[in-house]
Amino acid sequence: MGIIKTEDLTFEYIRRDEEGNVEGITTAVDAVSLDIKQGQFIAILGHNGSGKSTLAKHMNAILYPTEGTIWVDGMDTTEEKSLWDIRQTAGMVFQNPDNQIIGQVVEEDVGFGPENMGVPTKEIWERVEESLRAVGMYEFRKYSPNKLSGGQKQRVSIAGVLAMHPKCIVLDEPTAMLDPNGRKEVIRAIRGLNQVEGVTVILITHYMEEIIHADKVFVMDNGKIAMEGTPREIFSQVERLKELRLDVPQVTLLAHELKKRGVRLPNGILTTEELVAALGL
Amino acid sequence: MLRDITLGQYYQTESVIHRMDPRVKLGGTLLFIISLFFFKNFLGYAIAALFLAVVIKLSGVPFKFMVRGMKTIILLLMITVVFNLFLTPGTPLVSFWKLTITIEGAKLAASMAIRLTLLIIGSSLMTLTTTPNNLTDGMEKMLRPLRIIKVPVHEVAMMMSIALRFIPILLEETDKIMKAQIARGADFESGNIFKRAKALVPLLVPLFISAFRRANDLAMAMEARCYRGGEGRTKMKPLKYKKRDYIAYLCILVYMVGSIFVGRLSF
Repeated sequence: MGIIKTEDLTFEYIRRDEEGNVEGITTAVDAVSLDIKQGQFIAILGHNGSGKSTLAKHMNAILYPTEGTIWVDGMDTTEEKSLWDIRQTAGMVFQNPDNQIIGQVVEEDVGFGPENMGVPTKEIWERVEESLRAVGMYEFRKYSPNKLSGGQKQRVSIAGVLAMHPKCIVLDEPTAMLDPNGRKEVIRAIRGLNQVEGVTVILITHYMEEIIHADKVFVMDNGKIAMEGTPREIFSQVERLKELRLDVPQVTLLAHELKKRGVRLPNGILTTEELVAALGL
Repeated sequence: MLRDITLGQYYQTESVIHRMDPRVKLGGTLLFIISLFFFKNFLGYAIAALFLAVVIKLSGVPFKFMVRGMKTIILLLMITVVFNLFLTPGTPLVSFWKLTITIEGAKLAASMAIRLTLLIIGSSLMTLTTTPNNLTDGMEKMLRPLRIIKVPVHEVAMMMSIALRFIPILLEETDKIMKAQIARGADFESGNIFKRAKALVPLLVPLFISAFRRANDLAMAMEARCYRGGEGRTKMKPLKYKKRDYIAYLCILVYMVGSIFVGRLSF
């Protein structure tokens, strides 16, 4: 069993009208089964309302499955006694950086998680330093979070989770509110964590450019897993991705169009360099 | 801009008073204020003023910052003085038209003015030398015994520090909503007070909604980071008394005993 495993995971929202009567049931996650191995970089892709955030919230025991089961490092999330162990094993970074920073100074915010876990003071300081260095924010440790840019704030949030020494980090659209530069900063920090620190990363996003380095990609649509495979396998199915209302990176799209017109190219080109090489320019 | 807003009125500098444990400063300020109410003669006030002057000198905060705090209460001060001056019965000192100033009234007014001034300067010295964060930490630790009677001390301190963290964010948001409303023809600046108050409604409603949404997000983020109340929590920056804090307590004690003793002498 991998670090995160789900079996027929289903989650239903009950919609109520103003009097509280049940209006209908929306199935946000529909019988999802997946198995994520320790140390992998996983991307979960989907357009708005595809159920990807709902799925992510199950991994941190914020939501519980209506049907089916999810195990985090072998622990069933519905068992109350392992709740805090689960939240320590699978850290979570949310979309809006302003709404998840608690401390008034960067270092205090990073220390918040370890404080809650009851880590001794001396070790908190070690963990804070090491996490801030891992995301390249150590020079800013004395700053007020209000004075940082969006990308920097999001890196502080990641450091805050990292200081809890999780085996796995779930990032729920961490770049959705950032400008292109901030987005690049954050993605670089996330890749660093995965490659240098060996933390399992589950990145939830709707930006295709962010998933090209993933080991495995799941594409969600209507609460179900519509596609799964390596980024190359996913990007070779341009027509299918368009059906799922997802934007394909420009290079991949260009390569696809060229191929349709008869240029001989391999499937699933991901970067400009690859395309240049394949065209023999 | 709004981003650079400093909360409270903390004055950043290096001094022995700044480095002192917030509990000493809180307790000291409280005791200082209490001492002001014991004096019966002006010698006591003189000692208090001297003590305060020494502490201000040690703190390295320029005196004009203390005066700045006084500006807000100048009206209150005037009213107090005027009422005490004219309405205290006793031996007449000067009298013109229908107003009489008595000796007792003059004395009372003067001591009131001195008392209020010292009180305001004393407490603003505390906020000038302590960060809001430090202050909440100090309060949490000082009020901890109240947990026995079920006062949620940790929760209140946590709420205060979160409120402090979100004030600049909400201010920025207010600014944004205001601009958006102005762009669509809202008018916040003209009309009488009622009109202006009414104009604030379309500003407050979205602000409240967004504040609730933020609160919800923040609660989720805190839970995701294993927050479960004050039980079993360790501190990254625990408050520990150092030698200078004991010395400070001793100084305050000496001041209390000395000033109250002298201040209650009658000549």
